[in-house]
Amino acid sequence: MWRLVHLFAIAALIGSAGYVYRIKYQTILEAEQIVKLKHQINKTKDEIGVLHAEYEHLARPDRVQELADKLLQMQPLALNQIARVADIPEKSAAADSIGHKLEELGLGMTTPSNGAAGATPASR
Amino acid sequence: MKVAFMQSLRRRLTGGATRLLSNGADKGRGRIRQLILLIGVAYLGIAAKLVHLGLSHEAPQTLKSAADLAAAGARPDLIDRNGAILATDVKTMSVFAEPRNIIDKDEAVELVTAVLPDVDAHDLRERLNSKKGFVWIKRQITAKEQNEIYRLGLPGIGFWPENKRIYPNGVLGAHVIGFVDKDNIGIAGMEKYLDTQGLTDPHVPGFQLDPEALKPVKLSLDLKATQALRDELSQGLEKYKAKAAAGAILDVNTGEVVALESLPDFDPNDPPDMTKPANVGKINRINVGTYEMGSTFKALTIAMALDSGKVSLGSHVDARESLRSGRFTIHDFHATHRVLSVPEVFTHSSNIGTARMALMVGVQGHQAFLRKMGQLDRLTTELPESAKPQVPRHWGELNTMTIAFGQGLNVAPLQAVMAVAALVNGGHLMKPTFLTRDVDAAMASSEKVISEQTSESMRYLLRSNATHGSAGFANIDGYYVGGKTGTAQKIVGRRYSNDKVFNTFMAITPADKPKYLYLVIYDQPEAAPGDGGYHTAAYNAGRVAGSLIRRVEPLEGHAPFAAPPVHPFPLIARLGYGGDADKVGKE
Repeated sequence: MWRLVHLFAIAALIGSAGYVYRIKYQTILEAEQIVKLKHQINKTKDEIGVLHAEYEHLARPDRVQELADKLLQMQPLALNQIARVADIPEKSAAADSIGHKLEELGLGMTTPSNGAAGATPASR
Repeated sequence: MKVAFMQSLRRRLTGGATRLLSNGADKGRGRIRQLILLIGVAYLGIAAKLVHLGLSHEAPQTLKSAADLAAAGARPDLIDRNGAILATDVKTMSVFAEPRNIIDKDEAVELVTAVLPDVDAHDLRERLNSKKGFVWIKRQITAKEQNEIYRLGLPGIGFWPENKRIYPNGVLGAHVIGFVDKDNIGIAGMEKYLDTQGLTDPHVPGFQLDPEALKPVKLSLDLKATQALRDELSQGLEKYKAKAAAGAILDVNTGEVVALESLPDFDPNDPPDMTKPANVGKINRINVGTYEMGSTFKALTIAMALDSGKVSLGSHVDARESLRSGRFTIHDFHATHRVLSVPEVFTHSSNIGTARMALMVGVQGHQAFLRKMGQLDRLTTELPESAKPQVPRHWGELNTMTIAFGQGLNVAPLQAVMAVAALVNGGHLMKPTFLTRDVDAAMASSEKVISEQTSESMRYLLRSNATHGSAGFANIDGYYVGGKTGTAQKIVGRRYSNDKVFNTFMAITPADKPKYLYLVIYDQPEAAPGDGGYHTAAYNAGRVAGSLIRRVEPLEGHAPFAAPPVHPFPLIARLGYGGDADKVGKE
């Protein structure tokens, strides 16, 4: 009986020792991985920084102006080409001259009413 | 034989023991004393060594700490108000040597200089023969150079990552941004400001710092507006063959400098040695130069007269005859020889009229007003560069008369801009800033210098000067521009030159509720062909300001007004003035 207990205890001891050993080495491995990844993150961050700077250098306004002058067939913006949304006139009442004529002739019922979702452009 | 020996040995041993027992107490005490002494000496030695270590300044240096100390530190990015990068750090490799670990120094020098031809062999040999544990061979090498040196396989030579400051936009905003030296320490501009504010840690390289600790610093500059300003200024510089040009755009409600350029300028990636005489022309003329601002100063004089209550918009000033004071006579450039109303004094830019108005306030009042407006003391901003105005030592009536129209007092243009901004923004004098700031913070730090009504009167005068005065070239339709020209004759030798001028132009948009103040300066411009020989401010600075407004306002998201504002000047309209600001312009 005691022999069995002792055997069991020894087996448990060896087993747990082995387990701890494995955990320990796994931890070391993971820690190494973390350090490696941190290095990689820093390196990538540095590379991103370089790319940002490069982008900013390539998109600098004086270079864009030079390229636009050389390559684009465009004229400089004139101030009268700019309009505010408020400056756009309100939609006027649909001028449906044919409808008016038909109404005058007493045939107005057949024309689509103003603002209805009709199919013709004039009704919209 | 053997027995005798054993006996004598035993006798000796027992004899020794009995001797020990007989006088053992004395001897034991002596030995203990000796032991205490010995241990005491050892402790003294340890204490002495501790004191020595504590007092010695040279900490035992590891390679890492030596390299960290020598390497360029990290700096936060500088970004413009819209987030575009103005300055950033990139990692580069630098090659260093540990002289103690180099076996054959001559061979090392020979091989290294073969790969890096711009390293001076003599200088390098000297450095390698020094007693230092760590010396740089070359800072910031390319990947190709690094690879070649690595292949040499020299012991005692290694690489260390460093931060290199780069300015992707080159010359744009260079005077505001400033630059750094090889060790990433700020030398000029906002770069130097960062160091004084403890926003950088030059002795800890960035790859060790928490990147979160270095938040980008946002400047008030707008990169696109800065580029527009530089482009327009340099076009004008060529067209009018001027010696130098400068310009600034200020938000009058917050005091933020949206753009600042001074030509000729430099590339901060390749900074100039400002101590060399060839580079003196590259100074920041807006902050560091002091100039006689000419007629733009008349705005200050008239505001002073209006605010003192001695003059109103309806007052008249006699400009029929030149004004004499002792040996001096003050003439008008565009002489009218009649009695002028106050708006006419401004739009005709009458020297006589403004001088008379300044005299009404008096020398004391004039000085006090200019001091209140910050024109007599050095203006300090975040930029480390500043200049002290040149104030006349003995300030008499004649000085007041000339300073009234902008002669005899040299101020930094930024100072004048600050004062004019206060004249038009409702009377709030605030220090210009190169960092972002909102209206509330700006108002909290401002000082009320003139009344709201005087401010509105100034806006009206500036507007009427654009519609029927000298600022017509800058009167861009849809932006309700107000402006004032300033043509100051330059002093050549001891007298004012007739053909060499220093021209300034200030414009505000829109004049009824100003947002931006534009400043354009040309130093010694010539008349452009087709201008009839005129080289006054309207023809160069005024024109450039006009095209600048046309270009920058849409960039800043301001669409032109379809029609001028209906009641632009309500306060003075109640008094019966100001209605003509636009009516006359349309005639």
